[in-house]
Amino acid sequence: MTRQAFMARLREGLRGLPPQSVTDIVADYEAHFTDGEAAGRTEAEVAAALGDPERLAREIRAESTVARWREERSPSSAAAAVFAVLGLGAIDILILLPILMGVAGAIIGLTVAVIVCFFAGAFVFAAGPFTDPPGGPVTAVLTGIGIMAGSASGGALLTIVSIGLMNALVWYGRLHYRLLKPALEQQA
Amino acid sequence: MPEAIEIQLKKGALELCVLALLSKHDSYAYEIAAQLADAIGMGEGTIYPLMRRLQSDGLVETYLVESSSGPPRKYYRLSEAGKKNFTSQQAAWKSFSGAVESILGGAK
Repeated sequence: MTRQAFMARLREGLRGLPPQSVTDIVADYEAHFTDGEAAGRTEAEVAAALGDPERLAREIRAESTVARWREERSPSSAAAAVFAVLGLGAIDILILLPILMGVAGAIIGLTVAVIVCFFAGAFVFAAGPFTDPPGGPVTAVLTGIGIMAGSASGGALLTIVSIGLMNALVWYGRLHYRLLKPALEQQA
Repeated sequence: MPEAIEIQLKKGALELCVLALLSKHDSYAYEIAAQLADAIGMGEGTIYPLMRRLQSDGLVETYLVESSSGPPRKYYRLSEAGKKNFTSQQAAWKSFSGAVESILGGAK
Protein backbone atom coordinates (compact mmCIF):
# COMPACT_ATOMS: atom_id res chain seq x y z
CA MET A 1 0.00 0.00 0.00
CA THR A 2 1.30 3.47 -0.79
CA ARG A 3 1.67 6.21 1.77
CA GLN A 4 -1.12 8.17 0.15
CA ALA A 5 -3.53 5.26 0.19
CA PHE A 6 -2.72 4.49 3.82
CA MET A 7 -3.20 8.09 4.94
CA ALA A 8 -6.41 8.48 2.92
CA ARG A 9 -7.91 5.36 4.49
CA LEU A 10 -6.79 6.39 7.97
CA ARG A 11 -8.25 9.87 7.55
CA GLU A 12 -11.48 8.44 6.20
CA GLY A 13 -11.72 6.14 9.21
CA LEU A 14 -11.11 8.97 11.67
CA ARG A 15 -13.93 11.11 10.33
CA GLY A 16 -16.18 12.38 13.07
CA LEU A 17 -13.45 12.88 15.66
CA PRO A 18 -12.66 16.46 16.69
CA PRO A 19 -10.61 18.10 13.87
CA GLN A 20 -7.75 18.89 16.27
CA SER A 21 -7.26 15.24 17.24
CA VAL A 22 -7.50 14.10 13.63
CA THR A 23 -4.79 16.62 12.70
CA ASP A 24 -2.56 15.38 15.52
CA ILE A 25 -3.05 11.72 14.71
CA VAL A 26 -2.56 12.20 10.98
CA ALA A 27 0.60 14.26 11.60
CA ASP A 28 2.02 11.44 13.76
CA TYR A 29 1.57 8.84 11.05
CA GLU A 30 2.80 11.18 8.30
CA ALA A 31 5.95 11.75 10.32
CA HIS A 32 6.28 7.99 10.70
CA PHE A 33 6.31 7.54 6.92
CA THR A 34 8.81 10.38 6.48
CA ASP A 35 11.15 8.91 9.09
CA GLY A 36 10.72 5.41 7.73
CA GLU A 37 11.66 6.50 4.23
CA ALA A 38 14.63 8.44 5.60
CA ALA A 39 15.71 5.17 7.21
CA GLY A 40 15.64 3.52 3.79
CA ARG A 41 12.34 1.63 3.93
CA THR A 42 9.75 1.66 1.19
CA GLU A 43 6.27 3.08 1.68
CA ALA A 44 4.84 -0.41 1.40
CA GLU A 45 7.11 -1.71 4.17
CA VAL A 46 6.19 1.11 6.52
CA ALA A 47 2.47 0.67 5.77
CA ALA A 48 2.69 -3.07 6.40
CA ALA A 49 4.46 -2.50 9.73
CA LEU A 50 1.74 -0.11 10.83
CA GLY A 51 -1.10 -2.51 10.13
CA ASP A 52 -4.51 -2.12 8.54
CA PRO A 53 -5.40 1.62 8.52
CA GLU A 54 -9.16 1.06 8.83
CA ARG A 55 -8.74 -1.19 11.82
CA LEU A 56 -6.29 1.27 13.36
CA ALA A 57 -8.74 4.14 12.82
CA ARG A 58 -11.64 2.19 14.31
CA GLU A 59 -9.68 1.40 17.44
CA ILE A 60 -8.39 4.96 17.83
CA ARG A 61 -11.95 6.24 17.46
CA ALA A 62 -13.35 3.81 19.97
CA GLU A 63 -10.62 4.79 22.40
CA SER A 64 -11.26 8.49 22.02
CA THR A 65 -15.03 8.20 22.43
CA VAL A 66 -14.49 6.06 25.49
CA ALA A 67 -12.15 8.70 26.89
CA ARG A 68 -14.83 11.32 26.32
CA TRP A 69 -17.39 9.13 28.08
CA ARG A 70 -15.03 8.89 31.06
CA GLU A 71 -14.70 12.65 31.28
CA GLU A 72 -18.25 13.55 30.62
CA ARG A 73 -21.03 11.19 31.67
CA SER A 74 -23.74 12.31 29.28
CA PRO A 75 -26.24 10.37 27.17
CA SER A 76 -24.62 11.65 23.97
CA SER A 77 -21.11 10.60 24.96
CA ALA A 78 -22.53 7.23 26.04
CA ALA A 79 -24.23 6.75 22.70
CA ALA A 80 -21.05 7.70 20.82
CA ALA A 81 -19.03 5.22 22.86
CA VAL A 82 -21.57 2.43 22.35
CA PHE A 83 -21.53 2.91 18.57
CA ALA A 84 -17.75 3.10 18.39
CA VAL A 85 -17.39 -0.06 20.47
CA LEU A 86 -19.97 -1.83 18.31
CA GLY A 87 -18.03 -0.61 15.29
CA LEU A 88 -15.06 -2.70 16.39
CA GLY A 89 -17.06 -5.68 15.31
CA ALA A 90 -16.20 -7.04 18.69
CA ILE A 91 -19.70 -7.88 19.60
CA ASP A 92 -22.00 -9.64 17.21
CA ILE A 93 -24.46 -6.88 16.50
CA LEU A 94 -27.28 -9.24 15.54
CA ILE A 95 -27.15 -10.90 18.92
CA LEU A 96 -26.48 -7.80 20.90
CA LEU A 97 -28.77 -5.27 19.31
CA PRO A 98 -32.09 -6.71 20.56
CA ILE A 99 -30.66 -7.03 24.06
CA LEU A 100 -29.23 -3.53 23.93
CA MET A 101 -32.53 -2.09 22.69
CA GLY A 102 -34.39 -3.97 25.41
CA VAL A 103 -32.07 -2.64 28.09
CA ALA A 104 -32.16 0.89 26.69
CA GLY A 105 -35.97 0.70 26.49
CA ALA A 106 -36.23 -0.49 30.06
CA ILE A 107 -33.94 2.30 31.27
CA ILE A 108 -35.92 4.95 29.41
CA GLY A 109 -39.21 3.52 30.72
CA LEU A 110 -37.94 3.50 34.30
CA THR A 111 -36.62 7.04 33.91
CA VAL A 112 -40.05 8.24 32.78
CA ALA A 113 -41.69 6.35 35.64
CA VAL A 114 -39.33 7.93 38.16
CA ILE A 115 -40.01 11.42 36.82
CA VAL A 116 -43.78 10.86 36.87
CA CYS A 117 -43.60 9.55 40.44
CA PHE A 118 -41.61 12.60 41.46
CA PHE A 119 -44.20 14.99 40.08
CA ALA A 120 -47.03 12.93 41.54
CA GLY A 121 -45.26 13.28 44.89
CA ALA A 122 -44.95 17.01 44.39
CA PHE A 123 -48.64 17.19 43.57
CA VAL A 124 -49.63 15.28 46.70
CA PHE A 125 -47.29 17.52 48.71
CA ALA A 126 -48.68 20.76 47.33
CA ALA A 127 -52.34 20.02 46.67
CA GLY A 128 -52.99 17.20 49.16
CA PRO A 129 -53.50 19.36 52.27
CA PHE A 130 -56.36 21.27 50.58
CA THR A 131 -58.39 18.24 49.54
CA ASP A 132 -59.29 17.17 53.07
CA PRO A 133 -57.31 13.90 52.89
CA PRO A 134 -57.71 10.97 55.29
CA GLY A 135 -55.31 11.46 58.21
CA GLY A 136 -55.21 15.25 57.89
CA PRO A 137 -53.07 17.72 55.91
CA VAL A 138 -49.82 16.80 57.69
CA THR A 139 -50.13 13.21 56.49
CA ALA A 140 -50.62 14.42 52.93
CA VAL A 141 -47.54 16.67 53.12
CA LEU A 142 -45.40 13.87 54.56
CA THR A 143 -46.71 11.37 52.00
CA GLY A 144 -45.82 13.80 49.22
CA ILE A 145 -42.30 14.26 50.56
CA GLY A 146 -41.98 10.49 50.93
CA ILE A 147 -42.98 9.84 47.32
CA MET A 148 -40.59 12.52 46.03
CA ALA A 149 -37.69 11.20 48.11
CA GLY A 150 -38.43 7.65 46.99
CA SER A 151 -38.45 8.55 43.33
CA ALA A 152 -35.29 10.67 43.69
CA SER A 153 -33.42 7.73 45.19
CA GLY A 154 -34.88 5.48 42.48
CA GLY A 155 -33.47 7.89 39.92
CA ALA A 156 -30.07 7.84 41.57
CA LEU A 157 -30.02 4.04 41.61
CA LEU A 158 -31.04 3.99 37.97
CA THR A 159 -28.16 6.32 37.08
CA ILE A 160 -25.66 4.14 38.91
CA VAL A 161 -26.96 1.01 37.17
CA SER A 162 -26.83 2.66 33.72
CA ILE A 163 -23.26 3.86 34.23
CA GLY A 164 -22.30 0.39 35.41
CA LEU A 165 -23.86 -1.27 32.37
CA MET A 166 -22.15 1.20 30.09
CA ASN A 167 -18.76 0.58 31.66
CA ALA A 168 -19.26 -3.17 31.37
CA LEU A 169 -19.99 -2.81 27.66
CA VAL A 170 -16.93 -0.62 27.13
CA TRP A 171 -14.75 -3.04 29.07
CA TYR A 172 -16.00 -5.92 26.95
CA GLY A 173 -15.47 -4.03 23.71
CA ARG A 174 -11.93 -3.05 24.61
CA LEU A 175 -10.99 -6.69 25.04
CA HIS A 176 -11.33 -6.89 21.29
CA TYR A 177 -8.75 -4.34 20.25
CA ARG A 178 -6.25 -6.05 18.05
CA LEU A 179 -3.77 -3.39 17.07
CA LEU A 180 -3.92 -1.14 20.08
CA LYS A 181 -4.02 -3.80 22.73
CA PRO A 182 -0.50 -3.50 24.09
CA ALA A 183 -0.65 0.26 24.09
CA LEU A 184 -3.77 0.76 26.12
CA GLU A 185 -3.58 -1.82 28.81
CA GLN A 186 -3.13 0.08 32.05
CA GLN A 187 -0.38 -1.27 34.22
CA ALA A 188 -1.22 -2.07 37.77
CA MET B 1 -0.36 -21.40 24.47
CA PRO B 2 3.16 -19.91 24.46
CA GLU B 3 1.79 -17.19 22.20
CA ALA B 4 -0.70 -16.03 24.82
CA ILE B 5 2.03 -15.85 27.43
CA GLU B 6 4.25 -13.91 25.10
CA ILE B 7 1.53 -11.32 24.41
CA GLN B 8 0.89 -10.89 28.11
CA LEU B 9 4.59 -10.43 28.82
CA LYS B 10 5.04 -7.88 26.05
CA LYS B 11 1.98 -5.98 27.10
CA GLY B 12 3.31 -5.57 30.60
CA ALA B 13 6.76 -4.59 29.45
CA LEU B 14 5.95 -2.14 26.67
CA GLU B 15 5.24 0.95 28.73
CA LEU B 16 8.23 0.25 30.96
CA CYS B 17 10.48 -0.04 27.89
CA VAL B 18 9.27 3.28 26.51
CA LEU B 19 9.92 4.99 29.83
CA ALA B 20 13.34 3.37 29.99
CA LEU B 21 14.31 4.59 26.52
CA LEU B 22 13.17 8.10 27.38
CA SER B 23 15.06 8.04 30.66
CA LYS B 24 18.29 7.65 28.68
CA HIS B 25 17.59 10.47 26.26
CA ASP B 26 14.71 12.38 24.70
CA SER B 27 13.43 10.75 21.58
CA TYR B 28 10.82 10.88 18.84
CA ALA B 29 8.16 8.32 18.13
CA TYR B 30 9.76 6.72 15.08
CA GLU B 31 12.98 6.10 16.93
CA ILE B 32 11.16 4.60 19.91
CA ALA B 33 9.04 2.44 17.64
CA ALA B 34 12.03 1.26 15.63
CA GLN B 35 13.94 0.23 18.74
CA LEU B 36 11.02 -1.52 20.36
CA ALA B 37 9.73 -3.18 17.20
CA ASP B 38 13.08 -4.87 16.69
CA ALA B 39 13.62 -5.75 20.30
CA ILE B 40 10.22 -6.96 21.42
CA GLY B 41 8.33 -7.35 18.18
CA MET B 42 5.36 -5.06 18.62
CA GLY B 43 3.35 -3.40 15.86
CA GLU B 44 4.79 0.01 15.02
CA GLY B 45 1.37 1.66 14.89
CA THR B 46 0.92 0.83 18.56
CA ILE B 47 3.40 3.43 19.69
CA TYR B 48 1.28 6.48 18.91
CA PRO B 49 -1.75 5.62 21.01
CA LEU B 50 0.63 4.59 23.78
CA MET B 51 2.49 7.92 23.62
CA ARG B 52 -0.80 9.77 23.64
CA ARG B 53 -1.88 7.88 26.73
CA LEU B 54 1.43 8.51 28.51
CA GLN B 55 1.06 12.17 27.65
CA SER B 56 -2.49 12.42 28.97
CA ASP B 57 -1.37 10.60 32.13
CA GLY B 58 1.29 13.31 32.51
CA LEU B 59 4.26 10.94 32.34
CA VAL B 60 5.79 12.43 29.20
CA GLU B 61 5.91 15.90 27.65
CA THR B 62 6.48 16.92 24.06
CA TYR B 63 8.40 19.67 22.37
CA LEU B 64 9.10 20.48 18.73
CA VAL B 65 12.55 20.56 17.19
CA GLU B 66 13.12 22.18 13.81
CA SER B 67 14.57 19.74 11.34
CA SER B 68 16.62 20.48 8.25
CA SER B 69 14.37 18.31 6.12
CA GLY B 70 10.60 18.41 6.41
CA PRO B 71 8.35 19.66 9.20
CA PRO B 72 9.52 20.09 12.82
CA ARG B 73 9.83 16.84 14.68
CA LYS B 74 7.96 16.08 17.91
CA TYR B 75 10.27 14.95 20.69
CA TYR B 76 9.18 13.27 23.91
CA ARG B 77 10.81 13.65 27.31
CA LEU B 78 9.97 12.26 30.72
CA SER B 79 8.16 14.62 33.07
CA GLU B 80 9.00 14.68 36.80
CA ALA B 81 6.06 12.35 37.40
CA GLY B 82 7.32 10.15 34.58
CA LYS B 83 10.76 9.87 36.15
CA LYS B 84 9.28 8.88 39.49
CA ASN B 85 6.92 6.42 37.83
CA PHE B 86 9.82 4.87 35.91
CA THR B 87 11.99 4.48 39.00
CA SER B 88 9.26 2.70 40.93
CA GLN B 89 8.24 0.50 37.98
CA GLN B 90 11.86 -0.36 37.35
CA ALA B 91 12.37 -1.44 40.95
CA ALA B 92 9.19 -3.51 40.87
CA TRP B 93 10.21 -5.15 37.60
CA LYS B 94 13.70 -5.96 38.86
CA SER B 95 12.53 -7.64 42.02
CA PHE B 96 9.84 -9.55 40.13
CA SER B 97 12.05 -10.69 37.26
CA GLY B 98 14.80 -11.59 39.72
CA ALA B 99 12.38 -13.85 41.58
CA VAL B 100 11.11 -15.48 38.37
CA GLU B 101 14.67 -15.92 37.14
CA SER B 102 15.83 -17.68 40.27
CA ILE B 103 12.87 -20.08 40.09
CA LEU B 104 13.34 -20.74 36.36
CA GLY B 105 17.06 -21.23 36.84
CA GLY B 106 16.41 -23.79 39.56
CA ALA B 107 14.09 -25.86 37.35
CA LYS B 108 16.65 -27.41 35.03
